[in-house]
Amino acid sequence: MTISTEVAKADDEGPRRSRRSALVTGLLVLPASAWYLILLVLPLLIVLVMSFGNKGRFGGYEPAFTFANYADALDPNRITPFVTSLVLALSGTFLCLLTALPIAYYIATRGGSRKSLLIVLLIVPFWTSFLIRTYAWLTILGPEGLAGFIGDVTGDSSFRILGTPWAVLLGVVYGYLPLMVFPIYVTMERMDRTLIEASKDLGATRWATFRQVTLPITATGLITGSILVFIPLMGEYVVPAILGYGRVFLIGNQLVLQFLDSRNWPQGAARAVVLILIMLVSVVFYLWFVNRGRRTRDVSVV
Amino acid sequence: MADKDMERYVRQMRWQLERTPLSRRGFMWASAMSATAAFLAACSGGGGAATAAPSSAAPSTAPTTAPSASEAAVESLGPEPSFEVPPDIEKELFMYNWGDYVDPNNMKQFQEVFGVDKFTYDTFDANDEMMAKFQGGATGQWDICCPTMNYVPAMRDQGFIQKYDKSRIPNIKYMDKAFMGQWWDPTDEWAVPKDWGTTGITVRTKDVKEPVTTWRQFLDLIPQYSGKVVFVNSADDVFIAPLKANGYSLNSGVKEELDKAREELLKVAPHILALDSNTYQDKIRTEEAVLGLTWTGGILDLRDKPETKDVEYIIPDDGTVFWLDTWVVLANPPHPNAAHAFINFIQEPHIQAIETETNRYATPNDAAKQFIDPKLLNDKAMFVSDDVMAKLEAQKDNSANTQRQDIWAEFNQKIGQG
Repeated sequence: MTISTEVAKADDEGPRRSRRSALVTGLLVLPASAWYLILLVLPLLIVLVMSFGNKGRFGGYEPAFTFANYADALDPNRITPFVTSLVLALSGTFLCLLTALPIAYYIATRGGSRKSLLIVLLIVPFWTSFLIRTYAWLTILGPEGLAGFIGDVTGDSSFRILGTPWAVLLGVVYGYLPLMVFPIYVTMERMDRTLIEASKDLGATRWATFRQVTLPITATGLITGSILVFIPLMGEYVVPAILGYGRVFLIGNQLVLQFLDSRNWPQGAARAVVLILIMLVSVVFYLWFVNRGRRTRDVSVV
Repeated sequence: MADKDMERYVRQMRWQLERTPLSRRGFMWASAMSATAAFLAACSGGGGAATAAPSSAAPSTAPTTAPSASEAAVESLGPEPSFEVPPDIEKELFMYNWGDYVDPNNMKQFQEVFGVDKFTYDTFDANDEMMAKFQGGATGQWDICCPTMNYVPAMRDQGFIQKYDKSRIPNIKYMDKAFMGQWWDPTDEWAVPKDWGTTGITVRTKDVKEPVTTWRQFLDLIPQYSGKVVFVNSADDVFIAPLKANGYSLNSGVKEELDKAREELLKVAPHILALDSNTYQDKIRTEEAVLGLTWTGGILDLRDKPETKDVEYIIPDDGTVFWLDTWVVLANPPHPNAAHAFINFIQEPHIQAIETETNRYATPNDAAKQFIDPKLLNDKAMFVSDDVMAKLEAQKDNSANTQRQDIWAEFNQKIGQG
């Protein structure tokens, strides 16, 4: 309201135009900032406040100020789920990276006229619910599927894949792979191909070209992809529950247990805050580590 | 006479076509699985549509009183039910229930007879999830809900449910007195019994030759069948085994008793294949698991199939839990009259018999039993004998006990470890 009257009062063209553009910018940014405030910042604040409270008589939340929930979350005896999650998230991200890199490289450089088709094929699985696809793996890996077959061949009837960390790892890599492929593909696609030719002209081998030219240029995509995969992986709980048979107990499973099973919201909230902090720290460390590498490389290029 | 045989035949056909392989607890992620649920519902709906429901005859327009229990006990299938349609009934009904927990044809018939155009059926898969929803402020959205009885007092105390109007649910007279006036609803004003069941031991007898008749034997056998044991993913149910094996109450909150239970649970945890409420019956079917602490959902069906007829569901001699799901009218319902009409409708003996045959859980409705397939009625895993009944213990609300929660979390982390 005030802005519009001010705009009406303004006489000369210059400030008027700039005010108008500020207004337009403000209007355009409004939905995003409202979204950000209401759906991200506010819930985070609620979780933060809740983490200092007590469990109510019927579960839920009761206002209080206590650090007991944090003491419980950081109790060395109960910290295992954090560690398991971290190990799984790191190895899952790494495996995704290893798998996605050749795929993205192939589509970007050798895709040719089939490029769009290959990209669509990557999206196709998203047309079915993630959950149903995960349930499908039960049949594929189960005793009537791959595990049964391997068991028959090797004569080890107790051989199984489901209910092991490997099944969980496979499930998450399968589920999150497209999140890794797309950012890498985009950077590789936009890469200036003449640089590769130049590198070859200067006598670099294919491997040296990939390592010294392609990889540094696509680093942004690699980082984006890794973060996109790493963060949801830290909170993952569906795949371990279904493919891991609950034998792989992650922090996500613990949060579900505390919020829905015990209805101890404050204790769950404290764990959620710790999880957010862990993610923040690891992402910051990761960014610092990768950027440091890039800067030195930039310098060497110069 | 011929009519009766025909009706019996039709009902058996229906029963064979319609039994759904889903557990009562439904899918854990019900919303995301709705596609599958719709698919299964479509399958079972197709089967049911091919046959005429015994009570699908058009209701007489003149309202008559419902058949009394004594009348219905006459050697016949009893008079056709007729329904009194309240003049003030609303055109909509919003239900919040376990997945696949009401016979689809009964729902359709209710809509037709009572002129309820819109019947919304939303699902939850755990009582705690349902409670969390209401605690989060989701009141006034639904008319009816279906909590397990131990959640009724907490829902009452928090104002989530309202007293039902007895004059609108006359069929409550058919209820077995054993389920009335109990601790969860001493004055019979808040919850109408729906169906009940047990938690017990499932055994593949072709793999497990040792006798298993008690929780003690069950717990002792687990290390021997390491990696081939499945438990339902429910704290209250899992606590039954160690507590009952030691002769304690399954609702125990005594520290020493729970310490003992913890010790027992952590001893068996490494040998457990999975905590699984949704597909435990598949693990039993494929012999991935040969021993299980399970509900009856999906297990009773296995016994009817030739390749899994060695499956046995055992109610342990040292006693187990009985749970009773109840119909409650939620506080400030948008459609109170339709809600009451539905609860009364579903307790009509003919209708209730179809419910029992579809869901395969025991009904607390005495008058419905004469319409239920005798094969089901004689199934001791469903309708337990009186001496077994005497050993059952009602589930209580243990959600305030933090020691139980700590043990449960620790147990969860130790599954398959070490």
